[in-house]
Amino acid sequence: MSEVRLKTRPDSVLEDPGALAVATLYARSYLAGATQNGIAAPEEELNSLLDDVLAAHPEFSELLMSDSLRRDNKLAIVDRVIAPGSSEYFTNFLRVLIRHNRVELLPMIRQVLVRVQEEAAGKKRVRVKTAKPLSDGSRSKIREQLTSKFGFDPILQESVDESLIGGLVLQVGDTVYDSSLRSRLKQLKGRLVEKALNEIQSGRDRFSHPEGD
Amino acid sequence: MKFKADEIASVIQKEIEDFRGQMQTAEVGRVIEVGDGIARCTGLSTAMSGEMLEFSNGTRGLAFNLEENSVGVVILGDYLKIKEGDEVRSTGKLLSVPVGEALLGRMVDPLGNPLDGKGPVMTSESRPLEWLAAGVADRQPVKEPLQTGIKAIDAMTPIGRGQRELIIGDRKTGKTAIAIDTILNQKDTGVICVYVACGQRASSIAGVVEILRQNGAMDYTIVVAATSADPAPVQYIAPYAGAALAEYFMYQGKHTLVVYDDLSKQAVAYRQLSLLMRRPPGREAFPGDVFYCHSRLLERAVKLNKELGGGSMTALPIIETLEGEVSAYIPTNVISITDGQIYLEPDLFWKGIRPAINVGVSVSRVGGNAQTKAMKKVAGSLRLDLAQFRELEAFAQLGTELEKETQAQLDRGYRMVELLKQPQYGPLHVADQVVAIYAGAKGYFDKVPVNKVQQTEKELHEFIRTEHADMRDKLVAQATLTEEIEAELKKALEAFNARQASKS
Repeated sequence: MSEVRLKTRPDSVLEDPGALAVATLYARSYLAGATQNGIAAPEEELNSLLDDVLAAHPEFSELLMSDSLRRDNKLAIVDRVIAPGSSEYFTNFLRVLIRHNRVELLPMIRQVLVRVQEEAAGKKRVRVKTAKPLSDGSRSKIREQLTSKFGFDPILQESVDESLIGGLVLQVGDTVYDSSLRSRLKQLKGRLVEKALNEIQSGRDRFSHPEGD
Repeated sequence: MKFKADEIASVIQKEIEDFRGQMQTAEVGRVIEVGDGIARCTGLSTAMSGEMLEFSNGTRGLAFNLEENSVGVVILGDYLKIKEGDEVRSTGKLLSVPVGEALLGRMVDPLGNPLDGKGPVMTSESRPLEWLAAGVADRQPVKEPLQTGIKAIDAMTPIGRGQRELIIGDRKTGKTAIAIDTILNQKDTGVICVYVACGQRASSIAGVVEILRQNGAMDYTIVVAATSADPAPVQYIAPYAGAALAEYFMYQGKHTLVVYDDLSKQAVAYRQLSLLMRRPPGREAFPGDVFYCHSRLLERAVKLNKELGGGSMTALPIIETLEGEVSAYIPTNVISITDGQIYLEPDLFWKGIRPAINVGVSVSRVGGNAQTKAMKKVAGSLRLDLAQFRELEAFAQLGTELEKETQAQLDRGYRMVELLKQPQYGPLHVADQVVAIYAGAKGYFDKVPVNKVQQTEKELHEFIRTEHADMRDKLVAQATLTEEIEAELKKALEAFNARQASKS
């Protein structure tokens, strides 16, 4: 089991929306509980478990995530191995995960946790697509506009797509605000076709020569 | 027609000057799974059921399953070009099809794209595929006849405008032929016809279109084609598209006729979709809502009240049975939805009785009110007479010696059966039908040998049309067999019989 796990697909592909929803729920609860108990940086322990322990010892990770061990045995391992070195709150979180057979969601919970924390801090990720790389001036302008319009602190994720020709496409959550030149041209094309059809239908004589063909 | 280039240029220029591009907002999602004509997408949290969606390559889809964390989308187009991770965009619109006068004479797919190579469809109006059927208050009883031009149907299972009459039978029993003849007979009646081909071979659709064209029926007909090679979602929506096309004309106060050929294949396409979407299978593996699928379609056939223009939509759904099994799931469903059925039998077909209508089982529940008075008078007892004849015929096969009277009844029965035969693509005007059935029922054909009946009938029509045209005109205009017309008709028939006797 020493070989490195190969990454065969991008993250977006074959993702399980159901698992993501569950992981989000766990991440939110973990964070809320941590705030109530006055724990300052709850993500540190989670990161350390994933990076320093599970990544370094794939056999252990396999043991914990697979179904080869019974739940009681997994709980016993957590009690003996992890509990002495970590906080009571984090160990309890792990125990809950094991009891509900959700340990394999740990990496996903970490991913989601970052976003949940950002949300809690009033930040939101915004994807910005432009035809050319953004200048500093326009970047700060976009940020300003977004803050005033939506009331959150945007984290810009920029990407360049030349097929946009010009303008800018913003994506906040599932909603896309498209004011690129490409879509405007498409709109114009549609409208011209429609207009031309209307004109042709309403006044065939206007376009044709009076003497006919 | 030559176009003036500068005129067109000025229109376009003006439009460009006035153009103010608006920022487009849309809900997006991502494809996480695609195959077999369906896709599962994340995101799209505000998508509506039945909403039209657009994939990043321009292919359209239909939101079919709204699940907790994902949306099941049926792909209306080539699904092989859609990949995992592609973007899906909501449009906020229901799936709709272009409608209008410009579609007459055209063959289009269920999304309104032309398939006949005659250029784009010049219309800017469109109509949602799914439309709520008119309510009780918006309707009036079915009372105008829709003449099929087929003697056996117009006489015994008459169809009214706004009725739904099922054509059911095994393969190769002439189901499509009846529908085509009915379309052909709508020439010069102002009835607009829509022929929906669903799940058929492209060659047979081409054949139908060719026949319609040759007979000049394409001038008032729209063909909606979803071949068996088209993906299941396209086959599934084809009948709804046909209904939407007809509704456009209906709500303008016009009369329309829609043929759904055939609904059993549509049900199979719907089953495929539903199973791929993991909806639970029911009887014969069809999903539970396959009844709703057909009932909401056929409920759109209606005779509108005067305030709504009095238009009508007559539906002729076709169902193919397997080995005459009418108690299978889909046939029973559609029989129970429609206002009657025309049942075609292979045995009759091979005996040469064409159209192969089984008169005993075929019924029309509302068409009786829609029959013309003349037809009602002559055909009133036809059904019973034929039933009696069947009974006698079975009895006569035992070889018993028959009374003279019984033999006469039997002979007339043979002639009536012969008289109800009709060649394909030869619809008859209702006045001619009345003359033929009157002549048969009153015994004017009794002296004609059975194998000569069809020929003699043809000669009779010729005779009436040339020598008693004024009587026929009266019958056409009044559509009633008044005593005066009946007397003239009797005289004409006697003259015809005398001529026939002198010939032989």
